[in-house]
Amino acid sequence: MHQHPSPRSPLSRRSALTALAAVGALLLSACSGTPAADTPASRTGAPVDGGTLRYAVAGSPATASDDPHGGLGNESDVLRFALTYDVLTVPGEDGKTRPRLATSWKPNDAMDRWTLTLREDARFTDGTPVRAADVLYSLRRIGGKAAENYGRLADFDMAKSTAPDEHTVVLATRAPMADAPRALESVTFVVPEGTEDFSRPVPGSGPYRVERTSAQTTVLTRNDTWWGERPHLDRIEIQAVADPQARAGAVASGQADVAGSVSPAAVKSAGPSAKTQVVRRDGVTEYPFVMRLDTEPFDDPRVREAFRLAADREALVDTVFLGYGKVANDLPTPYDPSAPEDLPQRARDVKKAKELLAEAGHADGLSVTLHTTTSYPGMDTAATLYAQQLADIGVDAEVKVEPADTYWTAVYAKKAFYTGYYGGISFPDLVRVGLLSDSPTNETAWRSKSFDDGFARAMSTADEARREELLSGIQRELWKDGGYVVWGTGDGLDLAAPGVRGLPDGPGFQRMFIDQVWMAT
Amino acid sequence: MTLRTAGRALRPAGRAAALAVAATAVVFTATELLPGDAGELRTAGRASDEDVAAERERLGLDRPAAVRYLDWLSGLIRGDLGHSLAGGKPVATLFAERLPATVVLVAAALAVTALLTATALTVAYLRGGRGGSAATGLAAVPQPVHAAVLGAVLAGLLGWLPPVSLLPPGGSPLADPRLLALPALTLALPSAAFATVLLRGALADTLRRPHVADARLRGLPAPLVLHRHVLPFLYAPALQVTALLAGGLVAGTALAETLFGYPGTGQLLVSAVAVRDVPVIQAAALLPAAVLLLGMLLADLAARRTTVPGGPGPSVATAGRTV
Repeated sequence: MHQHPSPRSPLSRRSALTALAAVGALLLSACSGTPAADTPASRTGAPVDGGTLRYAVAGSPATASDDPHGGLGNESDVLRFALTYDVLTVPGEDGKTRPRLATSWKPNDAMDRWTLTLREDARFTDGTPVRAADVLYSLRRIGGKAAENYGRLADFDMAKSTAPDEHTVVLATRAPMADAPRALESVTFVVPEGTEDFSRPVPGSGPYRVERTSAQTTVLTRNDTWWGERPHLDRIEIQAVADPQARAGAVASGQADVAGSVSPAAVKSAGPSAKTQVVRRDGVTEYPFVMRLDTEPFDDPRVREAFRLAADREALVDTVFLGYGKVANDLPTPYDPSAPEDLPQRARDVKKAKELLAEAGHADGLSVTLHTTTSYPGMDTAATLYAQQLADIGVDAEVKVEPADTYWTAVYAKKAFYTGYYGGISFPDLVRVGLLSDSPTNETAWRSKSFDDGFARAMSTADEARREELLSGIQRELWKDGGYVVWGTGDGLDLAAPGVRGLPDGPGFQRMFIDQVWMAT
Repeated sequence: MTLRTAGRALRPAGRAAALAVAATAVVFTATELLPGDAGELRTAGRASDEDVAAERERLGLDRPAAVRYLDWLSGLIRGDLGHSLAGGKPVATLFAERLPATVVLVAAALAVTALLTATALTVAYLRGGRGGSAATGLAAVPQPVHAAVLGAVLAGLLGWLPPVSLLPPGGSPLADPRLLALPALTLALPSAAFATVLLRGALADTLRRPHVADARLRGLPAPLVLHRHVLPFLYAPALQVTALLAGGLVAGTALAETLFGYPGTGQLLVSAVAVRDVPVIQAAALLPAAVLLLGMLLADLAARRTTVPGGPGPSVATAGRTV
């Protein structure tokens, strides 16, 4: 799932929050002393029906939207869409694509036409059946809003896609695309054909329906005519809260049952373990350092290698993610099923790094500027700590903290050396967006014929094992020579009240599909 | 009412309206000066130049700034606040959803401010108008620090108050007044300190007046002196200060609402600035400006009616100079 950073908060607010968090954490740690225990939301025990779940989720009022085909900048909106509309496919816990509205799919030999079979028992809440025409209309509408949604379905050729009968759609892709079902996961929200006005409730065919909405809260009630496994909860209240500290506070004080996407600091300061449980979602947050291969000094592979050897990965994970994460090995998507696992782990080697820099003609030192921002918690800390580590190999890195509002338009994919962000993007998605010679935002200026060819070959390979082998092969090239310093991945962290069971902890937007969550009494 | 008195009443009203419009022009210009616009920021660096251009055109951002401002202004005069550039919803709807919560919060904050200020001034009066450096100090502390300390002590250490102020669905903030406490205190504490600093000057001036000294010499009890000879001189500046504070409190909700997750218009403003959502920013800026100017207008009108024996009451301006 491709989740893109969206700048959300002005700098002034951030610093205010930092002040609050700092004082709060100080006082709280002084009084409580015991960190929250990491008890995963257990799936064991017989589910109990009934009850209301109050879910505090990231959401900023200005970007709130009722249009499921637009930017999806607000998690609170995505959560509501995921519960009220059906999507074609969803990610499974293991990262593999699972059926939802589409029960099966089959490519042609060239892998550029995908025939999807739709369920026949899906109905919108107004009673009309969900037809292939509705699906095609919705996908075309998403394609037409490319400028708003970062070209979410840009790899599909919607003009050439068809709906041969009521329950079949044939989707055309612009190039062979073996991962097409995966690209359709989570965000292919289906609305009735012809829907343009989303200002009043639109019939969906999902597990819940909207009862009412107000400024901050949307109340959903179970849709008893949904085709899927009957959801346990009667009601779900979605509370849009922009500030992660406030979301965590809402669970700690009993104003919400779940807080989605909270910061490691908030988890540490959440207080006694009896009051909250922590859901850890693996490999969700990544702040790689991005070096542009077409700009000095990073055009020299020895410099890039030296910069990778300078990283003290354990220290970075401990400081930035407060231990809620793991060390990474310079592969940009280590959580992807195709990531090679037999590569030696790069470790800090100051001596070797200095030698490499000397060989590259920087024996007398090197000055660089490392850009970073405060969009996501810890991005600035990561850059500051890494700059200190670079000093040990004789590199003078000046850290420049840029305003969060404009970082993604002014720094990202433009500067030669900066702190990036990935939130669980799949490897094929990342390749298409940023690693092919003609990628729209090739942030590392990575241009490799063998890499491009390897990717094209993988995307036209039907056999899954063979495909992953090919994808794994081109990642080795990236590991050796690429422009990324990927030092670690942080866990996605949710806080929940003790009784909440069955919260999803899989990758990407899987966390939004909470239709099987239940509350133990 | 004669034409002349009507004119006299209308002139300040016209001036207030003109000032409110001027305020929106300033805010518009300031937003223009920020790097990036709604079209570009929506694409978050992932769109081609053509896509960004198409997005700008769709949002009407390809027109010159002056045209866009006049367009917004003519809409305002027709009562149309436009649509959000970020989410596409009508600005009027966004505000209608959130205005009640902010009105309640500001009212609560104003009440707490009044109470705290009255207490502080009473202490100052009993001490003969001296002291009050604590108020000056508190007024100088930035609002985020007030929020942090209040939150950490009242919600964290003591556990008396909820640390966040999410409202239940459809619920009024009045349903659970505890939810109002932290944001209201965060707003009220610095503004009470500010009001105390401003009014202490007026109080000291009043206490120096001959008739007060005279009343004291005649042996009148302190509360009576306060009630009969001091308070009447403070009504006019207090009204002006209240108007000033009301505008400031509305503006201050931006921070307090964001920190405590309270769903009002201040929160909306903060998130709108981040995405350069000009129509929402404009409407949000108009709100405190309108409250301030309306308050000043009412205070002016009230001050004209309040004639005090012994000459015109000291104005905030003179009180301010003594600070």
